[in-house]
Amino acid sequence: MTALQDKETAVSTSATLSLNLIQAINLAMREEMRLDERVVLFGEDVGARGGVFLATEGLQAEFGRRRVFDTPLSEASIVGAAVGMAVRGLRPIAEIQFADYMGPGFDQIVSQAAKIRYRSGGQFTAPLVIRTPSGGGVRGGHHHSQSPEAYYAHTPGLKVVMPSTPYDAKGLLKAAVRSDDPVIFFEPKRIYRAFKEDVPEGDYVVELGRAAVRREGADLTIVGYGGVMPDALKVADALKAEGVSVEVVDLRSIVPWDRETVLNSVAKTGRALLVSEAPRTANFMGEVAYTIQEELFDALLAPVSQVAGFDTPYPYAQDKVYLPGPNRMLRAAAKLLGY
Amino acid sequence: MHKPFTDKPIQRIGEDGRKIGRWTLDLTEDQLRTMHRDMVRARVFDEKLVTILRQGKTSFYAQSSGMEGTQVGLAHAVRPGHDWIWPYYRDQGLAIGLGVSVRDLLAQCLGTSEDLCRARQMPHHFGVRNYNFVSISSSIANQVAPATGTAMAQQYLGTDEITVCTFGDGATSEGDWHAGLNMAGVAKAPIMFVCENNQWAISVDFKGQTASTNIAVKAHAYGMPGYYVDGNDVLAVHSVVSEVAERMRAGEGPALVECLTYRIGSHSNADADAEKQYRSREEVELWRSRDPITRFERFLAAEGLSVDAAAIRAAAQREVEDAITATEATGTPGWDVMFEDVYEDVPAHIALQREYVRAEQEA
Repeated sequence: MTALQDKETAVSTSATLSLNLIQAINLAMREEMRLDERVVLFGEDVGARGGVFLATEGLQAEFGRRRVFDTPLSEASIVGAAVGMAVRGLRPIAEIQFADYMGPGFDQIVSQAAKIRYRSGGQFTAPLVIRTPSGGGVRGGHHHSQSPEAYYAHTPGLKVVMPSTPYDAKGLLKAAVRSDDPVIFFEPKRIYRAFKEDVPEGDYVVELGRAAVRREGADLTIVGYGGVMPDALKVADALKAEGVSVEVVDLRSIVPWDRETVLNSVAKTGRALLVSEAPRTANFMGEVAYTIQEELFDALLAPVSQVAGFDTPYPYAQDKVYLPGPNRMLRAAAKLLGY
Repeated sequence: MHKPFTDKPIQRIGEDGRKIGRWTLDLTEDQLRTMHRDMVRARVFDEKLVTILRQGKTSFYAQSSGMEGTQVGLAHAVRPGHDWIWPYYRDQGLAIGLGVSVRDLLAQCLGTSEDLCRARQMPHHFGVRNYNFVSISSSIANQVAPATGTAMAQQYLGTDEITVCTFGDGATSEGDWHAGLNMAGVAKAPIMFVCENNQWAISVDFKGQTASTNIAVKAHAYGMPGYYVDGNDVLAVHSVVSEVAERMRAGEGPALVECLTYRIGSHSNADADAEKQYRSREEVELWRSRDPITRFERFLAAEGLSVDAAAIRAAAQREVEDAITATEATGTPGWDVMFEDVYEDVPAHIALQREYVRAEQEA
C-alpha cells in the first residue's frame, strides 16, 4: 500500500487533457496497467470491440490479449474469475456490460468477494474492481437503466463508488484498482459523454470514502452522486440567481460514505435535499437521511427531503418523468426553504 | 495412461484388495503407510467431531466418513502449499491429507482464539493460507468460477502450480458450476475439477440431480477430458489425479475427475435423524461394506505390508483429544474481532458501531 492510495496526491505533471467521463475511465485503466503488471482487464466485448460503450477502447491493442481479453458471456464466470485471480495475487478489473446484468454474478459478489477477507480472518483477500455502467437516461428500458447500488451498499465487505466528473472518475478508479478491498465501480452512463473537463495526465488518486463539496452555500444542502449531479448543480445555480445559497455535496463513494462532510454541511444549512435516481424504497439516501436526523435533530430547520426514482421498474417511454430532473429538485428545494 | 470417459469407474484394487489389471505400484512403502494413516486420521476426526457435537462444543459438522479414499488419494497427488485448492465443506480428509494440522482444523470447528479464520465462520468451513487451502463458502458451487480464476492467474503468472476445485454431486446442478467449467475450457486453465460424488445431496439422490449417466461425461461439453474413477479406491484416485496433474503442468488444460464414493454418515448433524426417511438402511450397509479403508488394508496385507491398524487408530484418537484440549485452552476471541477484517481498515461507520458495542459491553 502506498501513500497514493490514501491521499489525493499532487499531480506529477502539469499536462492536462480535456476528457469526458468515459475517456477518463479509459485513461485510468491505461495508466494503472502501465504501472502494475498485476492489473488485468476482462469482460464481455472489452477486447477488439473496446466495450459496448468504448470504455476499454485501444487497451487490448496496447496491452495484448493476455492482459485485456474477452470472456464467455457469463457474469458469474467474470466475477468468479476475478475473485480467484485476486486471491492468487492479481488486480483484476472486470467489466459487467450493464449493471442490470450483475444478477448472475451476485452470489460471487456477496458470498465470495465481500466475505473472503472476513471469513478467512484476513488470510485471503479479493482486491478486485467490478466496473459497470448504471442508471437511466439512455432510453434503454428497465434492463439497461437500473441503479442497483443499494444492493451492494447493503453487503458489508464491498466498497461502492460512483463518480460524476471526469477528474473523479479517473482518480476514483485508480484508487479502486489499488484498494485491497473489492470495489463495485458504478459508471453513470448517461453522463459518459455529457461534458469534458481538464483531467491531469499524471498520476493522482481520489481517496475512496471522501465526498466533494461542489458548491459552497448557507441555506440548503443538496447531497447526490452519479448521474444526478449535473442537474443538482443546475439547481444550485438557478437558486443562486434568486438569492438562495445552496451547498452541493457529491458523495462519490457510497460505501464508505463521508458522514463528516455531509453532517458538517447540513449542520451549517439546516436543510437537506437528498437526490438520487434509484427507487425510493430502501434507497441508500435513506441511510443518509437517518444519520442526519439522528445527529442533527436540533439543527434542522426542515424535514430531510428526498428526490429519488420511483418504486416501479424503470420505464421506457416515460423515463424523463421517472428521472429526478431539475424541476422536481427545484420544487423540493422550494418546499424545504418554505419551512 | 488412464482413459477418459470410461463406462465403468477406473479401479486399481478390488474389494478383496487384489490388483485389478496390470500396473506397477509407484508409491514407496512410506507413502503407502502415510496414505493409510491419513485415511484413518480422517475417519477418527469424523467420529470425534460427532462426539463433541453431541457434547454441545460445536454447532455444525458434516461427516466425510466413507469418502477417505477420494479425499486422501487426491491430497497425496498434489503439491501441498504449492498447488491451490478451492475445497467444499466436506473436505476434512483432504485437509488432513495435505498436512493441515488437526489442531488448526479443531480451532476452526471450536472457534477458539487460535482459529486462523478468527472464529467468524460457521464450524467446519476451514481456510488455511499456508496450504493454499482457500476459505470455504457454504454457497454450493460458489467456489468453482473463482477456482478457474485462480488457475487463470497461475497461467498468467507462468507458474507450474495447478488449481484443484472440489465439490459434491449436487453442485454440478448449479449455474456457477457450468460457468466455472465453461470458462476454464475456453481459457485452457490448469485446473482440475474433482467431483466427490457421494450420491446424495442432503436428501436428493443422483438421479434427482441429473439425467447424465455420470458426472464425468459432462466434461465433453466443456472440451476437456472427464475421468470416471472409483472414489473408494485410494490408489485409483491417486493414480488418475497424479497423471492428470502432470499433464496440466505441461500445459494440457483443465480436466474433470469424478470420484464415485458414498456418504456413510448423514449430510450434517442437521439431518442425523431425518436421514432415515430418504435412504434405506440396506443401501447404507451395502456401502459400509465397501469401506475404502478396509479395502486399502486388504491391499496392503496382500502386498505383504503390515499395519497396526489398532495402534494407528489409537494414536489418531489421542491426536484429536490432545488438540481439543490444547485449542480449548487458548480461549475464545473477544467481541471486537467481529468488527475487523470487513475491510483492510476499519471505516468510520464500522468504528462507530464498534464503539456502540464497546459501551454496551463495558457497561
